[in-house]
Amino acid sequence: MSGTAGLALATRGLRKNYGSRHALDGLNLSVPMGVVYGFLGPNGAGKTTTMRVLTGLVHSDGGTVEVLGKPFKRGDRHRLFDVGALVESPTFYPYLSARANLRELAASGAHVPSKRIEELLDLVGLCDRANDKVQGYSMGMKQRLGIAAALLSDPKLLLLDEPANGLDPAGIVAMRDTLRALASQGKTVFISSHLLAEVQVMADVVGIVAAGKLVREGPLKELLSMQGVVKVRVRPNLVDSAIKSLQPLAAADRLIESDREEGWLAVHVSADRAEDVNQQLAGAGIFASGLESGTDLEMLFLELTGGQAVGGEGTFVGLGAPANGSATTGKETAA
Amino acid sequence: MRLFVSGLRKLVRRPASWVTLGMLVGLLALILIAVGGTANERVNATREAAAKSLITFPEAYDRILQFITGLGGLFAVIYGAAIAGSEWGWGTLKSAVARGESRVKYMLISYVSVAVMIGVGLLITFAVGVLAAIFAAHLANVSTSGLGDSATLGGLPERLLKGWFAVVEEGALGFTIATLARSQLAGIGVGIAFYFGESFATIVLPDIVKYLPFSVANAALATTSTSTGGGGIFAANTDVLSPDQALLLVGVWLIGALVVAAVFSDRAEITG
Ligand SMILES: Nc1ncnc2c1ncn2[C@@H]1O[C@H](COP(=O)(O)OP(=O)(O)OP(=O)(O)O)[C@@H](O)[C@H]1O
Ligand SMILES: [Mg+2]
Repeated sequence: MSGTAGLALATRGLRKNYGSRHALDGLNLSVPMGVVYGFLGPNGAGKTTTMRVLTGLVHSDGGTVEVLGKPFKRGDRHRLFDVGALVESPTFYPYLSARANLRELAASGAHVPSKRIEELLDLVGLCDRANDKVQGYSMGMKQRLGIAAALLSDPKLLLLDEPANGLDPAGIVAMRDTLRALASQGKTVFISSHLLAEVQVMADVVGIVAAGKLVREGPLKELLSMQGVVKVRVRPNLVDSAIKSLQPLAAADRLIESDREEGWLAVHVSADRAEDVNQQLAGAGIFASGLESGTDLEMLFLELTGGQAVGGEGTFVGLGAPANGSATTGKETAA
Repeated sequence: MRLFVSGLRKLVRRPASWVTLGMLVGLLALILIAVGGTANERVNATREAAAKSLITFPEAYDRILQFITGLGGLFAVIYGAAIAGSEWGWGTLKSAVARGESRVKYMLISYVSVAVMIGVGLLITFAVGVLAAIFAAHLANVSTSGLGDSATLGGLPERLLKGWFAVVEEGALGFTIATLARSQLAGIGVGIAFYFGESFATIVLPDIVKYLPFSVANAALATTSTSTGGGGIFAANTDVLSPDQALLLVGVWLIGALVVAAVFSDRAEITG
């Protein structure tokens, strides 16, 4: 495979069909070593299918996979000894306790020292309940146990399919810290999630898939710098003149009026140009009643995956996402 | 070895193991005691003799063992199906495969653990059956002097081994059916249907049915005088295979079932 040196995970032209449905349609992923990689995509985009192929649960219909620098083909199951995975939903023997479940799981695959189980129960905060049967666990507790199970053999590559499902806020924060710590130890974390705000603070690199294909991949910072936005609110009757006055700052298709919230304009310029936007408006005698700036993964996501209704003609297009997207960081508000 | 020990541990801790055994043991003890309690009230002499043979030693040893392969076969099918089906239904096979475990090894070793549990269950059931038969003999005023019959006792280990082999084959059938169905419930349902289906078919197709898995399991244990044939309790007495032929076919069915389960597990897409 070309250009896959130094990658923890690489897929080239990966295809997978379920019957006549193309779940993966030539997927090319490049996941560098030692990063947290956010694997994003709308429902049905093929994220879980990718995880299944990567863990040998289903067999691809074409393309190649490299795991930790070596080809991963049918029958290469030993490669998975260095991989930990939580695919779709955690699975356990309901009549066994958390501790017993981890112990029995550890009997398969790579060898696991028994003290590892206690460490992990502690890590995911299940020590107190470790002897209770899993059938009595809440959803979030099962999810925690699933994360512990994925970490069982201290994997070099961790594949997590929506691991935050059902976790409480403290659990999400703890998971984020754990995953960041793993990446700082040189391990690679490949995580799919719909919690874009979470991915935005956690991931180094993101890949966005739609309909089984990669639509964008790269370091999060780079992607977001291209996706800077300054949002500004003016009186509704002044929107037209505001747009006119801001035109020197942003290309026509980068200056968007919100169709949801009256008076909000999104100016797609680097997020640190909020002052310029404000100044430009003031120069035209228009005073903003609100100003926010930031970079927004959610916006990038919606744009790339078709969540945004792109009109494409004329100067202005409707904004599918709310102008003050919840995933905005570096928010500053001016009166 | 790790997998085998783990497989056994999982089965020992599983309530279904002990519920299944408890039901079989309870049923056997109940029947034997009922026979003992009523043996002398029968009007028909041949029926009385038949009933008493269940509680008269040394014949009773063999009768109890045949009862276990007959009805126990049904329990083994259900048990085998429950174990295999839950691996798919609960997704625990998925977790092992994602850890790099061999699917074939995992499934086959799971069944080896089941076979060991069947062996333990057979011994327990047999022991309880003998005790119940002794008790029943006392109830019916039947002498238990044959208990220590050395010829029968000497052959007992081999008979038990054959019985175990036969029940293991029946369990493998349930195991494979549930693997194909990827479901506990479907596996158990279809397994039971096969068991009774084979019994009923004995009436119309005895020449074919005698080669089928439940019939050969019973025939493998048959002694010339007492053959049950067919799927155990419903069986009509047909010209059954010789015990040796039947034993060979038990092996064929056992291996066949496990090969099918292994190949299917290896090929299957695990998308649950
Ligand atoms: N077992 C299956 N049988 C048939 N089609 C399937 C199966 N699993 C997934 N698909 C199809 O494959 C496509 C990709 O599904 P996948 O589960 O990979 O999506 P996803 O990105 O994980 O979505 P979500 O965000 O909802 O989890 C979908 O069109 C889905 O309908
Ligand atoms: Mg999914």
